[in-house]
Amino acid sequence: MTLFQISEPGQSRIKEHCAARAVGIDLGTTNSLVAAVRDGEPRVLCDAEGRALLPSVVHYGAEGGTIVGWDAKARAADFPHDTIVSVKRFMGRGPKDAEAQRKLTPYELAGDGPVVRFRVPGREVTPIEVSAEILRTLRERAEAELDGPLDGAVITVPAYFDDAQRQATRDAGRLAGLEVLRLLNEPTAAALAYGLDKGSRGTYAVYDFGGGTFDISILKLEDGVFEVKATGGDTALGGDDFDRAIAEKVLAEMGWGGDKAAVRRVLDAARTAREALTAAETAEIAVGTFRRTLARAEVEAWIRPIVDRTGPTCRRALKDAGVAPGELDGVILVGGATRTPLVRRFVASTFGREPLGDIDPDQVVALGAAVQADILAGGRRDDVLLLDVIPLSLGLETMGGVVERLIPRNSTIPAGATQTFTTFADNQTGYDIHVVQGERDTVEHCRSLARFNLKGLPPMPAGMARAEITFLVDADGILHVTAREETTGIEAAIDVKPSYGLTDEEVERMLLDSYEHAEEDKQARLLLGERVDAERVLAATRAAMRDDAALLTDEWRAAMDAGIADLAAKLAGADHRAIHEAIEALDRASQPFAEARMNRALERGMRGRRIEDVERL
Amino acid sequence: MNKFEVLGFEPRFGLDAVELERRYKELSKKLHPDRFATAPAKERIASLAAATALNDAYRTLRAPVARAAHLLEIHGRKLGQNESVDQAFLMEILELREALAEAQAEGDAPRIQALGGDIGGRRAAALTALGEALDAERWDDAKRELVLLRYFDRFLAAHGDEEEDE
Repeated sequence: MTLFQISEPGQSRIKEHCAARAVGIDLGTTNSLVAAVRDGEPRVLCDAEGRALLPSVVHYGAEGGTIVGWDAKARAADFPHDTIVSVKRFMGRGPKDAEAQRKLTPYELAGDGPVVRFRVPGREVTPIEVSAEILRTLRERAEAELDGPLDGAVITVPAYFDDAQRQATRDAGRLAGLEVLRLLNEPTAAALAYGLDKGSRGTYAVYDFGGGTFDISILKLEDGVFEVKATGGDTALGGDDFDRAIAEKVLAEMGWGGDKAAVRRVLDAARTAREALTAAETAEIAVGTFRRTLARAEVEAWIRPIVDRTGPTCRRALKDAGVAPGELDGVILVGGATRTPLVRRFVASTFGREPLGDIDPDQVVALGAAVQADILAGGRRDDVLLLDVIPLSLGLETMGGVVERLIPRNSTIPAGATQTFTTFADNQTGYDIHVVQGERDTVEHCRSLARFNLKGLPPMPAGMARAEITFLVDADGILHVTAREETTGIEAAIDVKPSYGLTDEEVERMLLDSYEHAEEDKQARLLLGERVDAERVLAATRAAMRDDAALLTDEWRAAMDAGIADLAAKLAGADHRAIHEAIEALDRASQPFAEARMNRALERGMRGRRIEDVERL
Repeated sequence: MNKFEVLGFEPRFGLDAVELERRYKELSKKLHPDRFATAPAKERIASLAAATALNDAYRTLRAPVARAAHLLEIHGRKLGQNESVDQAFLMEILELREALAEAQAEGDAPRIQALGGDIGGRRAAALTALGEALDAERWDDAKRELVLLRYFDRFLAAHGDEEEDE
């Protein structure tokens, strides 16, 4: 939550009549993607290795520096405390929240403040900073692909994200150096990708089951307007829960003793097995010496309760939208978890029709976000407009802990409400105001958003001063508050204490910190990156020497052993250039051996082909 | 500017729903903050305010009960939190609420359905009477019907919530 303040954009301000570099970012629980419209078509931007997905995993090195993505994911099992996985589940959440209290969490959490803090080597980081690392990696990828600095980005969020979760996402974007043009709801982004593709009209349901969040949105498409009629969801329900359910069974069978590294390995193995079961009827799960065959039916029985939890949410959204399942023109599937056959069957039976899934469910959100970014930045496609809603009602605490609803759920945003307060004591100059979000009638059952202290009212007799407070939910779904004393017209000041977020000052400080330590951080990142490369090269070289020992000449072996010893020695130091040079030296020393291996592999391939040729004759 | 004016309508209860939606979408395409994402701050603030007012007006005019309340407000009869109501009616609705709560506690589906159907019918009748009173500019009669409608809607909300928590 912020005060109502719209500032002029900074240097990255988009110039008119100039092709803007605007991207759509899907900041996912499991994987993240970045996409941009190029030559009129939304396309996912890949990394140097041609990979579209970036695992949403950040590893913090023992001596500073971070690694993001695939290499970080590879380290998660060995460094469970220092490698943050599924950080999205912690966005806008406090240390007392369920996610932080989970039994199977490998993290060490610090402190007791309003925001979760992960204890990683040498420091504590908030989920906002962890997410900013992921966003920065995507920003750098996009800047390399689009050949220049970005003008703006649309970042997607689950439709059911509350104010604190949205604010945290926006702050992460700022920390990553992005001009956040809009926070876009994921199901709406998916509908945009589908709708433009097909030029369709009608009423659609978007069933979005991702790694850690579930959303259902009902949209009406007509004349280029995508109007969200209702939305519902659960921001702590996703494919991760499938893995956890499988892992719990497996850990129990293994006789787990509480080792946190084992948890990460079992969770990874559970995920691999679950993905294999999408196509196969059985899958092998192997962790250490433990081996077990899982049958699809068996796993479906374990995960069915999780899938079933999406049912009432779907029915409520349909009811809120005033739409019967038979009136839908289609159901769109989004999110990796919708690949699970059980989920597809569940959706088909809930909505009484086969769902659409012709756009890759992992990419559809990023593609839709790219289209929206293009619309916002370029001002093109004037015929297309998204009308989204606020997912949860906003209210104020009144006497006795009762909630007075100001803006009901599913109101189209931007949405506003005004409330007038009168003083109850002589010379009273302020009020305490507590804003909550949720559907229940009592404060304790709603999510606390922030406490405001309204001050600076002119001293007057009781009941004379009247403060008018305006609540406004902007197009990002974020609440802004302004206050004015009616009789004198004095703008009253408001102190915001976010219940589960950082204050603007804290974000500002983080931003300054990151500028100040930019060079240091860069050096640490380079060092960590080279170390990961070095470890990979050492392991691969040793394995090759062992596997193809027969091909090694004494000369080659001596040169390579020397290279390995040198690299291992440099690896113990902290000079990233020295490590880089040692990697290259080992590479050169391995060259003849690598060529010999390649030749032999080719020969084998040729022989194989010849046999085939012979057989064909 | 009242909410009818925001969408260019005469302040009357009867409203063409299709035309209302058409005008809302047309205006949204012009005023929505997405159209001003890269505009100077002043224009963005103006767009935010205009789109908020438009959404608010559309939400009010789309729902007959809210539309009627706004019309009455324009004619100086704003509904407060505690409007007086016929005592006999109040007693009856309280008894019906109790009956509903009992039926829900016992899981008596046919009884719940019957109670809902009964109130639903009375709500429809009150809505018709409300429309007639507004068209005839009998503002005080209209206000009385609107107060009844509010009680019926609260009853139906309690009725609906229970259905939801399966």
